[in-house]
Amino acid sequence: MNIYLFQALNGLGVGMVYFLLSVGLSIIFGLLGVVNFAHGALFLVGAYAAMSVGGATGSFVAGLLASFVVVALIGLLGERLLLRHTYGMPHEAQILITVGLAFVLTEAVVLLFGPEPRQVPVPEGLAGVLMLGAYPVPIYRVFVAGVCALIGAALWLLFERTLFGARVRAGNESARMLSLLGIRVKRVYALTFALGAGLAGLAGGLAAPLRGADPAMGAEAVVIAFVVVVLGGIGSFSGPLVGGLLIGITQSMMSTLWPEGARLAIFLLMAATLLFLPKGLFGRV
Amino acid sequence: MDRRSLLSVAGISLAAPSLIVPTLVRAQPRPFVYHSVNAFSGPFAVSGKYSDLGVRAALKAFGNDLGRAIDYRRIDTEGNPAIAVRKVQQAIGQDQARHFGGAALSNEALAIMKEIGQAGGVYLTYVGADEVTGRDCNRSTFRWSLPTYGAVHTVLQPLLQQNPKWKRIYTITGQYVFGEALLRNAKAVMQPQGVQHIGNSYHALAEKEFSGYLGNAMSSGADVLLVLNFGANTLDLLRQAAAFGIKRRMAVVVVWFSGLDTFQALGADVTEGMYFGLQYWHGQDTPGNRAFLKVFREEFKENPRFYSAADYQIAMLMFDAVRRAGSDTPAELVKALENHRYEGLTGEEEIRAFDHQVVKNYLLVRGKGKAAMKDADDYADILSTTRAVVPQAASDCKMTPA
Repeated sequence: MNIYLFQALNGLGVGMVYFLLSVGLSIIFGLLGVVNFAHGALFLVGAYAAMSVGGATGSFVAGLLASFVVVALIGLLGERLLLRHTYGMPHEAQILITVGLAFVLTEAVVLLFGPEPRQVPVPEGLAGVLMLGAYPVPIYRVFVAGVCALIGAALWLLFERTLFGARVRAGNESARMLSLLGIRVKRVYALTFALGAGLAGLAGGLAAPLRGADPAMGAEAVVIAFVVVVLGGIGSFSGPLVGGLLIGITQSMMSTLWPEGARLAIFLLMAATLLFLPKGLFGRV
Repeated sequence: MDRRSLLSVAGISLAAPSLIVPTLVRAQPRPFVYHSVNAFSGPFAVSGKYSDLGVRAALKAFGNDLGRAIDYRRIDTEGNPAIAVRKVQQAIGQDQARHFGGAALSNEALAIMKEIGQAGGVYLTYVGADEVTGRDCNRSTFRWSLPTYGAVHTVLQPLLQQNPKWKRIYTITGQYVFGEALLRNAKAVMQPQGVQHIGNSYHALAEKEFSGYLGNAMSSGADVLLVLNFGANTLDLLRQAAAFGIKRRMAVVVVWFSGLDTFQALGADVTEGMYFGLQYWHGQDTPGNRAFLKVFREEFKENPRFYSAADYQIAMLMFDAVRRAGSDTPAELVKALENHRYEGLTGEEEIRAFDHQVVKNYLLVRGKGKAAMKDADDYADILSTTRAVVPQAASDCKMTPA
């Protein structure tokens, strides 16, 4: 197999993780108009929740479920206790609150688990590599890409084929109209925020065996999530998918073409998008 | 600034005489104030956590030898050089602080050593940047760790001699000053040995995804993957290298590895069979290390990490210099430290006068498999220890004479 084909396939796998990491951010902004700077910290908490519950129960699946549930609950609480009071305020208020929340969550993780990076083992059945020609691909990476694709399909069904999804989409267009129709908009907001947060947590849970768990991982994750969302378009569902894949493939291909510029390339891509398509590829806002 | 006074030796020793002669007013000797500069919070807080243990172990080990209290204060840099400089300036200006140790990050150390140098203080550090005892050296600053030259020579030279089949090396290098210095030295070692450097992938400091670079290494047909970065970059790279089964294709050599903390973060499954260069390993059997381990294990019931060892060593050097000089005047301490030979953690160590670099052993170790580990921290076998330092003729340090 050609190195470039390997890098393209590898980039697809990386891109699927980026999609899952950023789709919650996009959904939250699309409906609530909240720029959630705590998204990376939610990813971080998800990784630690998966590590703790997975370690305590010996079940990788229980760890993954915990990463979603725990972080969704944190999201629900955060929305009800803090963010709900800022919806009528300028974005600066939400930014301050979510940045503060990110600090609190990160320091809480340090307090509970210590500042050291932690090892999170790959589940036994998913260890090992598959050979693509001469190139090995870790089975766990293939699994993660597959899970992300399934979650993507489930999210599409949720937003396009269910009553809840219709309400979220309607709220995205006009929350006032939704309220006049007798829908409890605040509940839709809270559930959407919890879902977005839970997806960040699940991404953290899936990423933990790939990257370990460490208190600094949230700060890096939120940067990537914003790049993906800006590129794909804020407020859309397909945006993070295409944005994530584009970023993943670009980063992976550039690792061979121009290694020192691999990371720079994703930011250049974002800058070019902002310049020529200010709303992103599929942006609605 | 966080202040901790852990010993009041003089207070205790002076209390008894004052009971006997209550009418005399006795002047308490001024405590010796030692500032430990480190990231005690923020993303690099792990270094601060363990460096604190190291200083506390040094206070315990040094006991009453100074004849006066040692006032241990912490300066939290938050891993940010700008904050480090501001807080050190504040300590110098407001508290007349002159005695400093620590900093886990090269950019912090390089920034604060200038401030301390201008204030005429004394500063001991253990960061890796060559400049500390090279181009940017100054009279106030001493460095315990061996810089990149020693690390590369200690690790690469014996491995290349012992493995004549290793003919092609691929490098993955952090694109920052430290990574560049490692790469430059690695090339200098490879060339005379007839080893081909067949490719290099630079990566950014913030990089987390190394699969693309590993693809390059795999397609290169290299015999060895030489890792030239540090900290979180090394952890992410090695974790992903193991997942891609790199170890089955080529040898993996990491020139600069923190030690026990990073072995624990990766686990033996990842590190087994890889080669690492270390400044310190708790399993090294030297008189200095035995004494340190005794105190550290008694106090903290665990084995020391690199940051604990390094901060213990530099604090001990500072306290001992004050004792030997009979004064805490910085100029006297500099004199006491220059050419000082002592039983250090890695064996006999010596501080060179011309660049203030400690000449010490650097360790080459190989990661053990889980089955071979005698205890939970027995991650590696020591293969060799070597002291390689830049010779004076090749040094960039042009120290201004006192």
